This record gives sequence, C-alpha cells and structure tokens, in this order.
Amino acid sequence: MVLKPESMGKITLVGPKSYREAVVAELHRLKILHISDHAKTDDIDVGSPLEKANELSEVLVKIRSISSWLRVKRKNNSEELKIEAGYDLGALSKKLYLEVKQKIEQLREVEGRVSANNSLKAELEALKNIAIDLSAFAEYRSIAYFAGYVKNLDGIENRLRAITEKFELYAAAEKGKNVIVLFVEIEKKNEAREILIQHGLSDISTQNLRGMRGRAHDSIRALEEEKSSLLKQMEKVTGSMGKLRLRYEKHLLFAEDFLEKELEKAEAPLRFAETKNTFVINGWVPEKDAEDAMKKLNAAGKNKIFFNLEEPGKKDSVPVKLKNPGPVRPFEFFMDLYTMPTYRELDPTFLVFLTFPLLFGFMLGDFGYGLVTLVLFIALKKKMPKAKNFFNILIFASIATIFFGLLFGEFFGFEEIGHFKLPHIISRSHQVTELLYLAVAVGVIHINIGLIAGFYNELKSHGFMAALYAKGGWIVLQIGVALLALSYLKIIALPIYTGIIFFVLSLLMLLKGEGIRGLIELPGIFSNILSYARLMAIGLSSVKLAEVINESATEMFHGGGFLILTGILLLLVGHIVNIGLGLLGSFLHSLRLHYVEFFTKFFHGGAKKFKPFGAKS
Amino acid sequence: MAVDINTGLVALGSAVAIGVSAIAAAWAEKSIGVAAIGAMAEKEELFGKGLILTVIPETIVIFGLVIAILILNLSGA
Repeated sequence: MVLKPESMGKITLVGPKSYREAVVAELHRLKILHISDHAKTDDIDVGSPLEKANELSEVLVKIRSISSWLRVKRKNNSEELKIEAGYDLGALSKKLYLEVKQKIEQLREVEGRVSANNSLKAELEALKNIAIDLSAFAEYRSIAYFAGYVKNLDGIENRLRAITEKFELYAAAEKGKNVIVLFVEIEKKNEAREILIQHGLSDISTQNLRGMRGRAHDSIRALEEEKSSLLKQMEKVTGSMGKLRLRYEKHLLFAEDFLEKELEKAEAPLRFAETKNTFVINGWVPEKDAEDAMKKLNAAGKNKIFFNLEEPGKKDSVPVKLKNPGPVRPFEFFMDLYTMPTYRELDPTFLVFLTFPLLFGFMLGDFGYGLVTLVLFIALKKKMPKAKNFFNILIFASIATIFFGLLFGEFFGFEEIGHFKLPHIISRSHQVTELLYLAVAVGVIHINIGLIAGFYNELKSHGFMAALYAKGGWIVLQIGVALLALSYLKIIALPIYTGIIFFVLSLLMLLKGEGIRGLIELPGIFSNILSYARLMAIGLSSVKLAEVINESATEMFHGGGFLILTGILLLLVGHIVNIGLGLLGSFLHSLRLHYVEFFTKFFHGGAKKFKPFGAKS
Repeated sequence: MAVDINTGLVALGSAVAIGVSAIAAAWAEKSIGVAAIGAMAEKEELFGKGLILTVIPETIVIFGLVIAILILNLSGA
C-alpha cells in the first residue's frame, strides 16, 4: 500500500571476531542494513576499530590537506572515480604531502615579503615629495619628529615659532593632501604635536624607514623591482602547483573517496557490541531484502554467523524508509523538509502528491502562466539534475495551474483574447464572493481528509473508540455548527435544536477523546478552515496585478509610436515579476496549508530516516 | 466619479480591517522569523519547522481579508 512505509525487520547478527572484517565489507557492499549504535553497558562494551583505522585516517588527513592546498575540488557529477591499478596511496600521499607542503611554505614566505614590500612602498609614496634624505628618520636624543597628513598648513609655522625656534618643517602636496614632516627639539615635543593635531594631523608610520638612505624616489624604484621579481617567484610556485594538480587531481579525488569508505568500514565496529571473541550487530533491514542479505552475509562469514530476525516491537523506534511509486516519490522531499512519519502511521506523501498541486494550481490558476512555468521547470530540470525532485513537484504544480487556468478562463490575466471570450466555470476577478466560498469548501474537504487519515492512525494505535472520540468528534462538531448556521439562516427547515444536539455531542466526544485540550482548541478547526480563504486571496492578488499590467499596456498601445515599445516592455517585465511572485506565494502557501492545517489533523512524525550502512549521505 | 460619503466610509472600514490585520501579522511573523533563523543557524534541519512556525500568524491577515470582503458585501456596495 502506498500509504505505508517499507516494512522493516529487526535483525541481530552475531559472529566470531575473526570474520568481522569480511562481514563489514559485505555489509558495506550490500547497503541494506541500518545499524543501531550500541550504547556501552557494564556487560558489553562497544567494539574496537579495525587495526588499520589509524593509518587510514592519517593518510586521509594528508590527502585532504594536499587537496585543499592544490585546490582540488570534488566534482558534483556522479562519474565514477578510477585510477590505474596498483597505486600505493600511502607512499603517494607521503611524497606528495612533503612536496606540496614545501611549495605552500615557499608561497607563504613570498606572500609575506610582498605585503611588507607593499606597506613600505605606501610609506615612501607618502613622503616622496618631501625634500629630505631618508637617513633623517633615525633615532635622536634631542630631536623628535612627526610625519603625517594635515588638513591645512596655514599658520602652523607661526604657531610653532611661538613655542620654539628650534624646529624644521617640511611640507609638500601628495595626491591633493598636505604632507608634513616636522623636526622639533625634544622638550617641545608634546606642544608641537598638540598644534599639529589641531590642524588635523593623521600620522604616517615611519617605523620601516629606519636605516634607509637616499631619497624616497630611488627607494621606491628599488622596491618596485623587488616586487616584480617576487611576483615572478610566486607565479613560478603557483605554476608548478598547478602542474601537480593536473597530474594528481584524479588520484587525489579517488584517494579521498576510497579512503573515506575504507575508514567508514574500519570504524564500523565502534557501533557494534563486542565481547572478547564475538561481535554483535543490531540493526534494521527492509523485510523483503532480509532473506537475501542473510544468505550473502553468511557466505562472507563462512557460515559462522548467527542471525535473529524479528518483527519490530511496539516500543522500538524504527528507522523509516518511505515507499512510494515513481511519480509520487518527488514529494518525499516535503517529508525530508519537515520530519519523517513514524513507522506505524500513515505516510502522507501520497496525500500531498494528490493535493499539493491542486492547491498550488488553485492559487496561480492561469493558463498562460502555467505554460510558462511548465516550460521553465522542464528546462531547469534538465539543467540541474541534482534538484530533480524539486522540479518534478513544480512540474506537477504547473500542470495543475494550466488546468485551473482553463477552469477560471484566464490567459495572462486576460479573460478574452481579441473578441473571443474564454469559457470559464468561475471568474476569479468578477465572482470574488463565490470564489471565497469555493476556497473555504476546499478547506472543509481537505481538513476532513486529514481527519479521516487521523482516524485511521488513531484506530491503528489506540483502537476504534479512541479514534471515534478524538477524530470523529471534530467531524460531528462541523456537522453541528453547519446545521446550526443553516437552520438559523432558515436555509433548511430543521428545528434549531438538532444542530445543538450535534454540537453538544461533539463537545462530549472531544472531551473524552482529547481531554480539556480538545475543548480549548475548539475554535482552531474553524480558523483552520477559514485559513483556506488564502486560496482565493493569493489568486485574486495575482489576477488583479496581471489585469493592471494588461490595462496599462493596452493604454500604451493606443498611444502609438514609442509608447508601443514601452508597452511591450511593461508586459514582459510585469508578467515575469507577477509569475515570480505567484510561484513563491503559491508554493509557500500551499506548503503551509499542508504543514499547518492538514498535517496537524493526523500526522506526528519524528522518526529517523532509514540510512543503510555504506550508502552515501 | 462622485462617491457619497457612506460608500467612502464602507471602503475605509474594509481598508482598516485588512490594513491593521496585515500589520499585526507582519509584526508577529517578524519576531518568529528572527527566532527561526536563529535556530536554523544552529541546526539547519529546522528549516521545515521554522517555516511552519513563521507562517502561522499569516492567518490573521486572511481573517482581515475575509472581514473586509464581508463588510463590502454586507453594505451592498
């Protein structure tokens, strides 16, 4: 049945330690057993990893560093990695590691020198128009000096003269800013600095200039020469690293993949229970594969393996593997996004497959938009095979959009093309109230499907009476309120107390089934149902926006001339934006209606996903 | 076109119904959204749950819309 996850068997596997490695290798190859990690107890410890685990992880770390230094990136395509046989990965990793490490150190050293070169050059550049020898920037006993930019030069000299005669001021312009260097007797250092600060001093570091001679110009030239030779060195090193990458890229990728797998195998016993001479694996296996798996494992263990296969117990938390036919499978994406259903409840994927595209189509509902998105998503699916599931969902949704577009008689917001009026069942832009009722009716149906599913779940887990009270109560409540409203409005000729009877009955059922909580949540079901009014609201906003675009564009077309061009542009941009908004809104709101309104009626979730040992995550 | 004051008031009434409820929904979603993103930064799998919790107050604005339409309809405009 499509509504149930795959049946699981609880398997226990006991064998002598000498066959441990062979059994692990076979398990890894089969990719069929979900291992339940053994928690250490006083009696039985967890297993110890295979002896080679240490060496493996050492080599793996080396390979990974080499890959990151050489910028070897894992490719996304699932192309099988292969290298020539008989390669000693250990030796390769050792040799290559040393070689690449030396290169990367060389590279870092050169990079360091380049950056020192850059900062020194910046200092010299700032001072290059000052007419003094660089040897002046030395350490003095009786002189202090400042170098920096100031905002204005007016009056600095006079103000300095007011405090001392013993100073020398050099000034120059550099890239529109005033650069000054001031030498002053050391006793007046602070006062002089104060004056400069008032003129907006910002310091230029002279730290690196100590011990230099000659004019800044000449030093800059020397620095430039040094830099170009450094850059050449860098190029040489990166070039040789690039060659190494070309030569070893395949090997590195293969090695990483291979070693990860081997390491996973080598560390697998950490998840087993182990005694001195035996190992025990507890896990889960799909029931249909159990027979075959046991046969193959026994062959690997030379018939020395003991198996025990049993039905999952009531309290076991069974890992869940969803089982849906091809077209439904993409919708498992929504369960991954939310949470896995537990083993004993309904798998909602099939229900979501039925209703998600419908709700989506109801909101976007435009023949033209549906065609555009259908083509778009088919193209995108080809382009990005990784997100295949996601695009498959959207393709289903687009088809529903086309269908609803026909029902609503809408084509890019137009209800008539030329003078041909598109046939429609209901017009969204003119029959707003009817659309609202329709949306709420959809809500009633959807919510009640949820309640029926909930009834089934309750029935399986707590029996018929519990299901009747907890889920049936909600249905009776809806009937009661509907009867009350209809007889109050005199639409049906029933005495008002029939409605009241249903209402009170439902209250009692809910009190029994869900307790006080049920009564508190009483209005919830109506706000849930009313929430489906968004089907109308989102749709209406999308239609109205399309109409506004169309009307403005039509007016422009009547204007003629240049306006026709702007009209076309407006149509294009407007509808693209509207489709984008519509897609986002319809997707999220349809999803929300499922997660919040629909799922809360029956779904618990929270199970672990079935992840067999050896399968890629 | 000339519209009498009563029609204008009806229109204003329904505008207030949807406008204020939209502000309320936005306000509520803001706080939840911030918390949800915070949680997601710690644990990415919470995206699904975060999304659901974030959109829960959205129903407020739907109620506003329903009331707005009811006001328009009941006044016979």
